[in-house]
Amino acid sequence: MLLNIWQKIKNSPTIILIPVFILLLLGLLSLLSIATLQNQSPPNAFSKQLFFLIPSFIMLFVMSVLSKRLIHKYIYVFYVLVVFAVLLPFLGDKVSGTYRWINFGLPFDIQPSEIAKWIIVLVLARYLSDHNLQMTHFSSNLFPLLIALIPTIIVLKQPDLGTAFVMMSSVLPMLYWIGARPFHLFMIVAPILSILSAFNVSVFYFWAFFLAIIIYLSKPKLIYGLGVYFGNIFLGLIFPLVWNSLRPYQQNRVLTYINPEIDPLGAGYHIIQSKTALGSGGLFGKGWGQGTQTHLKFLPVQESDFIVSAIGEELGFIFLLLMILLFFFFIYKILRLAINASDRFSGLILIGLASIFMAHVFINSAMASGLMPVKGLPLPFISYGGSFLVSSFMMVGMILNFGRDDGD
Amino acid sequence: MLRSPNTVPKTKFWFLIGLTFVLHSLLLYRFFQLQVLDYDLYKQRANSNRIRANSVPAPRGLILDRKGKIIVDNYPTYVLFGIGDEIINSTQNFSVISKATGIDTSYLSINYKNNFRSRFLPTKLAKDLTISQLSRLEEYKNDLSGIIYKQYPERIFNSSIRASHVLGYLKELDQEFLSYNKNNSDYQFGDLIGWSGLESKYEYILRGKKGVSYYQVDAYGREAGKIKGQKNISASPGNDIITTLDLELQELLEKELNDIKGAGIVSNPKTGGLLAYVSSPDYPPDLFTGLIATKDWETVITDKDKPLLDRVSNGLYPPGSIYKMIVAVELLERKLVTESWEVFCPGYYEFYDRTFKCWNENGHGNVNLEKAIVESCDVYFYQAIQKVEIDNLSERSKMFHHGKKTNIDLPSEMKGRVPTYNYMNKKYGKWGWSKGALLNISIGQGELLVTPLQVALYTNILATRGETYPLHLVNNKLNKLNKINIRNSTWKLLEKAMRAVIISPKGTGRRADPKIKGLDIFGKTGTAENPHGEPHAWFIGYGLKNDKLISIVIMLENGGHGGEVAAPIARSIFKKYFENDYKIAIK
Repeated sequence: MLLNIWQKIKNSPTIILIPVFILLLLGLLSLLSIATLQNQSPPNAFSKQLFFLIPSFIMLFVMSVLSKRLIHKYIYVFYVLVVFAVLLPFLGDKVSGTYRWINFGLPFDIQPSEIAKWIIVLVLARYLSDHNLQMTHFSSNLFPLLIALIPTIIVLKQPDLGTAFVMMSSVLPMLYWIGARPFHLFMIVAPILSILSAFNVSVFYFWAFFLAIIIYLSKPKLIYGLGVYFGNIFLGLIFPLVWNSLRPYQQNRVLTYINPEIDPLGAGYHIIQSKTALGSGGLFGKGWGQGTQTHLKFLPVQESDFIVSAIGEELGFIFLLLMILLFFFFIYKILRLAINASDRFSGLILIGLASIFMAHVFINSAMASGLMPVKGLPLPFISYGGSFLVSSFMMVGMILNFGRDDGD
Repeated sequence: MLRSPNTVPKTKFWFLIGLTFVLHSLLLYRFFQLQVLDYDLYKQRANSNRIRANSVPAPRGLILDRKGKIIVDNYPTYVLFGIGDEIINSTQNFSVISKATGIDTSYLSINYKNNFRSRFLPTKLAKDLTISQLSRLEEYKNDLSGIIYKQYPERIFNSSIRASHVLGYLKELDQEFLSYNKNNSDYQFGDLIGWSGLESKYEYILRGKKGVSYYQVDAYGREAGKIKGQKNISASPGNDIITTLDLELQELLEKELNDIKGAGIVSNPKTGGLLAYVSSPDYPPDLFTGLIATKDWETVITDKDKPLLDRVSNGLYPPGSIYKMIVAVELLERKLVTESWEVFCPGYYEFYDRTFKCWNENGHGNVNLEKAIVESCDVYFYQAIQKVEIDNLSERSKMFHHGKKTNIDLPSEMKGRVPTYNYMNKKYGKWGWSKGALLNISIGQGELLVTPLQVALYTNILATRGETYPLHLVNNKLNKLNKINIRNSTWKLLEKAMRAVIISPKGTGRRADPKIKGLDIFGKTGTAENPHGEPHAWFIGYGLKNDKLISIVIMLENGGHGGEVAAPIARSIFKKYFENDYKIAIK
């Protein structure tokens, strides 16, 4: 048994742990700067993060040696459980205005949606690998989408726009991986683009034109082509009605995305301050513990959503370059493992997990640098957050597990 | 189970790698753009986020007396501010401050309302806090939010004198002033500016240059320590001014005029420098600094004796008999009378259908020009004036600086009034006045109005035969007054007469003589009738001992007879100055 475990660890692609631990150190360094320079006595974000490393490492180990068979066998059960789990917070009280967290009487709250995002990956992987699906049919894409949508819609209701986005982020790459037609995937994304383009009349015209060309080039049946086309146009037209049903903070986030300077003291304030902190760091940064924007608290949510700005301010562009290279190396390695995986189930899981990490990295960095609206997503291994850290290391464990070719 | 083979084409792998690469490159480029390309912009923005500049007030220059003794000094005072953005509950804060310091809450809230400019800037709540008030405030620090105090230099005055009209006061600049003086960017809201007296006239010397202290603030605008590598600009204090005032003479003159309405001026005819300058009643010089209780302020403003009026330079009075020397000069210089020409004074003079009285109802008997000055006989002048042209007399008056500003170095003074032919025509119509009006003018009454300051210059001219300098309070290089072309014999007669005013048994100014060996006092008294009650009492004169020379002008509003009330005041000044070998060091 023990020998078996040792064998498993020895065969694991442990090279992916190198970027993970460097990134973890970078995050801890930044959290330490924030905690000490601002005279926060423990428990502060730094000490709590250290504490959460214990369950994180345990879960990393567990997930990396857990029997793949067992995972495969019980994943549908887990899926049902996790759907209930994301519903659970609604029975408790709101925390910070949302139903994201459950309190089990522990000193910290647990966020079930953090688990749900990779449970979806596992479920999809089993569904897509077990059945010999005709992925060239558009309809084959619908059931997998539904699987992902059920927990996502609940999370969206919590409301947690960012995590909901991440939960959906793995679906399309996995479908693509298993053989779905790119045009069909495009059709899935098209409605979202129709809605976004409805912001601006000329953008909407351009989109309508572009959509027509894509449909024409893909040569579907006339009736489908027309249906997809006018369906999308209709969606864009009724969008203003939907818009009004959005929560004000969501509306604000989208609005300030278009023009962050529109309300410098409101939602745009975050983006402006984050850019200022980043930009003023320059090439080499102001030095560890010297970030004026961070320590004078101009930088909001600096331990999680905007930690990249805190790093950028104190350590400069060179450290962000290092960080991006490490993330790229990390994701590249996962994709490499996916293409080399011996079975379809493992390959799909690796693709899904890579997508989740990619979504986190891109959205977090893009929002901190003002490329995207503020979503409130943490940066893997770097941002402060217990559930998120544990969940991230569970995913790393799974990567070790499913990236290992042990003929299981 | 897990046996379904992984048959994914390599192209999919490369596509996903490509996508990952693009997304990472996008992020990298964005970081590069912000941190390297736009570095300067964000660095500046970061600094303006956190750096605040605070102006450091410069201590004003001191005002010194002629011997270098301090008249106006600075002392550090503490000013209490409230920052609107950080005050959580103003009523609660004010009541805590009130409890700690004893300052009325209504006073605090009125100041807060009046001085408020922005909720991010400190708003002045109270001035002149004592150390003990501050230490009690410190005890309550936890109950306060957004309340800070800063040290400022404040004016403090020599306790022995007041001299409030000369020294003037400072005013805190308000929005109104600034909107009128937009070009003058040197001044900011809340700065102090000399608003009257020497403080105003020599503002450009006294005012220093403000410094700047930099400090950093956090995202909530709270002070968060100093900035590394950012040097503060220290304030450079203003320059001192050395006045011609003499602290001891000023003190004595103020004491003499205490509780009396009037004006007193002591000056050095050889230089034009003023040694003492008193307008009574005055106000405490610190009235305008610190906490003015509304009550005190009301008292000053509504006082019917007008303590705010500077009687020396802005009070207008008929000169009375002290004017007679000018008439005498006109009579002699145009040879309208000879020195021996005599008039009989029965105590009155009948001019057509009107009777003009001499001040001495018993009459002076036979009077020549000298006796007319010494005993101040009016009837002599009633008769002699009829030989004089009004415009010639007004020209002669201007020669002695009547109806002309003295150009003293103070912000405001009155010109006085010397009637001319045109003036009389304008006022009364061409046929509305007659030579009878001149009779009044001849004894310094009627349309004539002078300021005590003009009279001081007039006295200095008499004391030096015109070889004097413009009156001034701060030593400047001034040119001598224009030479007055008068025959020596005329000067001699005036001097003889003014000496006799003091020493002859019937002289009106006998009480001005302190009777010091070697000291010769010259003078003239005046008793100017006016419609406001008792006559104004005048004494003008100068004392000469060896090389020492000072002149004195005393005017007591509704004081009575000049010889009786004004002359004794002059005597005590002469006594103080010439007794005990009083040192003079006037440049």
